[in-house]
Amino acid sequence: MRSSWLHRRDRRGVWFVAPFLLGFLLFMVVPLGYAVYTSLYTYKIIGGTSFTGASNYTQTLESWTFWSGVVRVVVFGAIQIPVMLAIAFFFACVFDLGVAKYGTFFRTVFFIPFAVPAVVGAVMWSFLLEPQFGPFTRLANALGFANTDFFGPTLLLPVIIVIVIWEWTGYNMMILYTALKSVPRDMVEAAIIDGAPLWRIILRIKLPMVRPAIVMLIFLNTVGALQLFTEPQILESFQQGAVSLNYTPSYYIWNTAIAADQTNLAAAMAVILAVIIVGVSAVSLLARGGGSRRATAKGASLSRAVNRDFSRGGRPPVPRCGPAARATRKADPMARTDVASGPRPRSCPPAIPVHTRRRELA
Amino acid sequence: MNAAGTRTGRRRSAFALSGIAALAAVTGLAACTSGSGASSSAPAAAGSPGASASASPSASVTVEAGANCSGSSAVKITFWAWVPGLGRAVTAFNQTHPGICVTQEDVGAGDPEYVAITNALKAGSGAPDVAEVEYDELPSFIITKSVDNLVPYGANAYKSDFVPWAWSEVSQGPAVYAIPGDAGPMAFYYNSALLAKYHITPPATWAQFAADAATLHSDDPSAYLTNFAAVDLQWIMSLMAQDNAWPFTYTGGSTVTINWTGAKQMAFAQYWQNMLSAHELNSTTDVSSAAFADMDKGIDASWLSSAWGPSYFLPDAKSSLGDWRATALPQWTAGGDVAANWGGSAYPVFAKSQHPQQAAEFAEWLNATTASWNITKTAPSLLFPTYVPLLNDPAYKDLNNPLSGTSDPNVAFTGAASNISADEWPPFMTEALNEASTVFAGVSNGTQTLQKAFTSFQSVLVSYAKAQGFTVNT
Repeated sequence: MRSSWLHRRDRRGVWFVAPFLLGFLLFMVVPLGYAVYTSLYTYKIIGGTSFTGASNYTQTLESWTFWSGVVRVVVFGAIQIPVMLAIAFFFACVFDLGVAKYGTFFRTVFFIPFAVPAVVGAVMWSFLLEPQFGPFTRLANALGFANTDFFGPTLLLPVIIVIVIWEWTGYNMMILYTALKSVPRDMVEAAIIDGAPLWRIILRIKLPMVRPAIVMLIFLNTVGALQLFTEPQILESFQQGAVSLNYTPSYYIWNTAIAADQTNLAAAMAVILAVIIVGVSAVSLLARGGGSRRATAKGASLSRAVNRDFSRGGRPPVPRCGPAARATRKADPMARTDVASGPRPRSCPPAIPVHTRRRELA
Repeated sequence: MNAAGTRTGRRRSAFALSGIAALAAVTGLAACTSGSGASSSAPAAAGSPGASASASPSASVTVEAGANCSGSSAVKITFWAWVPGLGRAVTAFNQTHPGICVTQEDVGAGDPEYVAITNALKAGSGAPDVAEVEYDELPSFIITKSVDNLVPYGANAYKSDFVPWAWSEVSQGPAVYAIPGDAGPMAFYYNSALLAKYHITPPATWAQFAADAATLHSDDPSAYLTNFAAVDLQWIMSLMAQDNAWPFTYTGGSTVTINWTGAKQMAFAQYWQNMLSAHELNSTTDVSSAAFADMDKGIDASWLSSAWGPSYFLPDAKSSLGDWRATALPQWTAGGDVAANWGGSAYPVFAKSQHPQQAAEFAEWLNATTASWNITKTAPSLLFPTYVPLLNDPAYKDLNNPLSGTSDPNVAFTGAASNISADEWPPFMTEALNEASTVFAGVSNGTQTLQKAFTSFQSVLVSYAKAQGFTVNT
């Protein structure tokens, strides 16, 4: 009797993944395969289409025009991503701490730029920065920066960075905010009871705990930076010649495919860009795996670190009661405490409601 | 909103205004446009640039077919064009041609339309029977055998109806690949009040023009004689044509001559660069609200533009309205009469058409009958004819618009329309226009000379043409 290659139970599972697999095949695998296939041919106005093997790839790899765009988006990402994540983390912390009034309202306000389509956002910014009438241009002139041209070669990249930060900070903030919400509350409470200052709680407890989220955001934003397209394209439509053809790899691929009608070459460029992105993703995922392991380890040693800082004056203030003690026990079972692990000593006072302490903190 | 990108050779500037259209569309300011766009051709002007900005061809405007189109026996012809108000002529054609039913669609002005056509041709279906194609773009469709030779359909009968240069723009050897449509003869538009203030008379020669530019700028450092839009390739090429410095030779086939670095071309570049280096010229993107504001505020005292130019400037002309006049372009040789053309479209029949006979009949009627021109010469189309009977019509010569001055009627252009030499466009102008915006950008912001830009443009185009299999002469 031939043994079936799938157990009965697994065959049922196939039906569950079939819709996804079908979409994945149709919209990912087939187009990818077609792009690779296309990239192996070359169309010439004189002579038509012929098989040219890797020549589109060698042409791209040797093309400084292509690589200068890649370098530009790397520079873009190296500046934009850290700045944006710093801002996003700051505001996520503010909202997480509950120190701001109307937190929900302002979270929504911060999120709005992300809800605005990128094209509209870019058009809006273009109007604001427009060299002739833009209010920001006029402001710059009024402040003594004569002849400020936000679309000029020196300011163009900073302008795009600002636009992208504006668009994406809210989104990143929401993810970090959610991650912060999942930081075990008792750990923070422990630190509060120990009298740790706010900045230390944020930098030594919260930041390490949301590290996996940050690594994921760095990865997502890096991929986004490598694919930068909309903002340069819209800015170019406002100021002809402001954005060079090869400003970003995606923009160059688009120009090569549409304006220059060299779809084969564009396909090769797209494959190379995809390989770069996959490479970045792989590195990020490896970093993320390592990162989360490290984060866990770090989280475990947190209370130790906090305690250590307070131990300078003398006896380590080992928490005996309350959530701090629980946290210490849970997070760091190896920590030496005077309290034996096990049930809470009967002498402990009842736990203070969290919100009370939150107010004290604020 | 301005009729961006219509009837001109200017697809890039269509984009320049398109952002505004896009925002208006998105923010609902143009709600009326999108609401009524489905049934009338008039909003095409606002609708199509918006479509080009979002790179979506879906915002097409379909003209209601004529009354006779309900008959199923009529041959169906699909017609793509972006000129506003052209649907009026389509309706008139349908009413007088019961056997043919033409449907007009607007898939975008210039580039977006060409991309849509190219894609449809590749896909094998969905291409129009007839389309509006700018003169410079026509060779790209001829070389790929995408358009029909119209001689078998009686095109030669109309040859004498058109100015010779326009006819040669649509011909290769004995073959005729399109029926010429409108043109954009160039003129020297000037603010008469401003020139009078600086004691300048409209320059008759380019030497005088350069001297005037220096005079005006030294008298008022905040003002310029004119604006030099370096990234506007078609504009520069029109001026080069007038200087007999045309950088291409192409008469069909696989051999093309590219010459941006010859003595004539370099002398042309040198002429303008001298003024640019002395900061005697403004450097704003042409046909943009910024440029129009400079003209209206008296920062630019003149405008080297085309017969279609005023229809763009008019909505922005406020304080200077009434001061503008039009006269012939300055000449390289004193006493000369050399004109230049900037823009204009022709109407080819696509080879995939199932009904080339009827499609050709429509293209011929649209461009070579007084009945059609009586519609298309009026607003909102305002096409400038290559059709000789209309050019010779005294009533048309006397036609005025507020920006060419009441004392200088259309005659400046009707004269110019016949003194134009035919331009030989290479069959890769889309790529050339595409590259130009990057190559010439440095000239606008002063980081590069026009000569340097010409030199790098030469190498860019030569390597592209070679990669495309052409035999390239330089």
